[in-house]
Amino acid sequence: MAKLIDARGLSCPAPVLLVKDTLEKESLQELTVLVDDEACRENVTRFLGSQNFEVLDTGQGNHIQLEARRTSTANAVETKATAQQTNENPDGSQKILILVASDRLGSGDDTLGEKLMINYLKTVKEMGNDLWQLVFVNSGVKLTTESSAVLQVLQEYERAGVIILACGTCLEHFGLTSAKMVGETTNMLDIVTATQLADKVINIG
Amino acid sequence: MGTATADDAGVYRVSDDLALIQTVDFFTPIVDDPYDFGRIAAANSLSDVYAMGGIPKTAMNIVAFPLGKLEKKVLREILSGGIEKIREAGAVLLGGHSIEDDEIKYGLSVTGYVHPQKILTNQGLRPGDCLVLTKPLGTGIIATAVKGGLASEKTVRQVTEQMATLNKQAAELMHGFSVSACTDVTGFGLLGHLAEMIACTGLGVTLDCGRVPVLPEALHFANMGFVPAGAHKNRQHRQAMVTMAEDFSPILRDILFDPQTSGGLLIGCAEKEATVLRNRLRDGGVEYAEIIGYANEKTDEKIELQ
Repeated sequence: MAKLIDARGLSCPAPVLLVKDTLEKESLQELTVLVDDEACRENVTRFLGSQNFEVLDTGQGNHIQLEARRTSTANAVETKATAQQTNENPDGSQKILILVASDRLGSGDDTLGEKLMINYLKTVKEMGNDLWQLVFVNSGVKLTTESSAVLQVLQEYERAGVIILACGTCLEHFGLTSAKMVGETTNMLDIVTATQLADKVINIG
Repeated sequence: MGTATADDAGVYRVSDDLALIQTVDFFTPIVDDPYDFGRIAAANSLSDVYAMGGIPKTAMNIVAFPLGKLEKKVLREILSGGIEKIREAGAVLLGGHSIEDDEIKYGLSVTGYVHPQKILTNQGLRPGDCLVLTKPLGTGIIATAVKGGLASEKTVRQVTEQMATLNKQAAELMHGFSVSACTDVTGFGLLGHLAEMIACTGLGVTLDCGRVPVLPEALHFANMGFVPAGAHKNRQHRQAMVTMAEDFSPILRDILFDPQTSGGLLIGCAEKEATVLRNRLRDGGVEYAEIIGYANEKTDEKIELQ
């Protein structure tokens, strides 16, 4: 029989914490949670969903019964890992952030510099899962716009899960706000936070 | 000015060119560090004066503290945190009152000056006005995750700094702009305070939800079910005024109703000035400032989420 957690009479976030503690202590395939208000119903359902449980919701009013069944075999209690956030990825990869501060690589010859930058961005996928974010600032933001020679490459990276950010102030400066075709527009606080969270920051441009 | 339109503070006119703004607020700790709690509680109390267009002048401590259970040092740190923010606001601490209680509570009673013609209230939004928000949402959800021991130290630090940031800079920078209405986003969440802003105005507003600044970790924790009971209460209370598509993200919806501690200013401002205001706020260090919506052509007193 499925383990029963009676969280009636508790208000948020206590029911979620009760379920979380139980899942951390025991490896359960099935459990039933009783709650008695809508807020807890939603929160517990969301939490179980985030831990790879499928939830069948029965009952009404102050007797809500949530029957949960694990959908994947992976032991998905990631809450502990989340608490220690976030510098270690579960697969052992690291988080590399590349700050692209110009639309060309190096100084000397601009035409050459542009070619090198294109080549760099095309090749950077060799970093594999370690590539976490590409952040474009200053004239680097030009690489995220419609006229960019690496637009398709960046769009592919984004689809593959690489976070692509373009500095909003810079886009505005160059009058390119509406020309940006890939990535999220960002601000300096986000950039500072991202560089702090990264395991390694590579500055090119 | 009284309590009829649910404003942030009371106002008393002393003379033709001086009115007093008075406000009081206090609450239980939302972070573990006593000094940070003091800074946050003080910033939160001072915020009401800024939201009404005033300048804080004097403050008094309000304290409840379990003397038998906790060291006096903890109390001293809370008060020092508060003093840091009072000083930053340019106000002076005149005194205060404390009682013994099982649970810590701290906040300020604040008095500020404002010119009677320059009082800002949450009423006055005009058709076509833009809405600017100056701080990111999600502090309630993250505080809930902190309670659950889930938030990383970095997340705690980031949300602490947001909550401890005074609305002083934002308030000073909005002077000189054609501001029609202002409030600070606190316990009722963005949508609750926006609902108060448009109630009885005959205006409808559209929110461009993709532009609403949100602390990234808040999305993560809302998705894990760490939405405080207050967010649900706010939603129940105001959902009749809010319209959204059927497939609107319930996560984002909860963040828009998330009760904020020491949240940002929600400013109604003429459309043609809104971008300049947003840029000036950002240049002035109000990094998250963003135009998040506008008063639309409808007259239904509803908030449309897009």
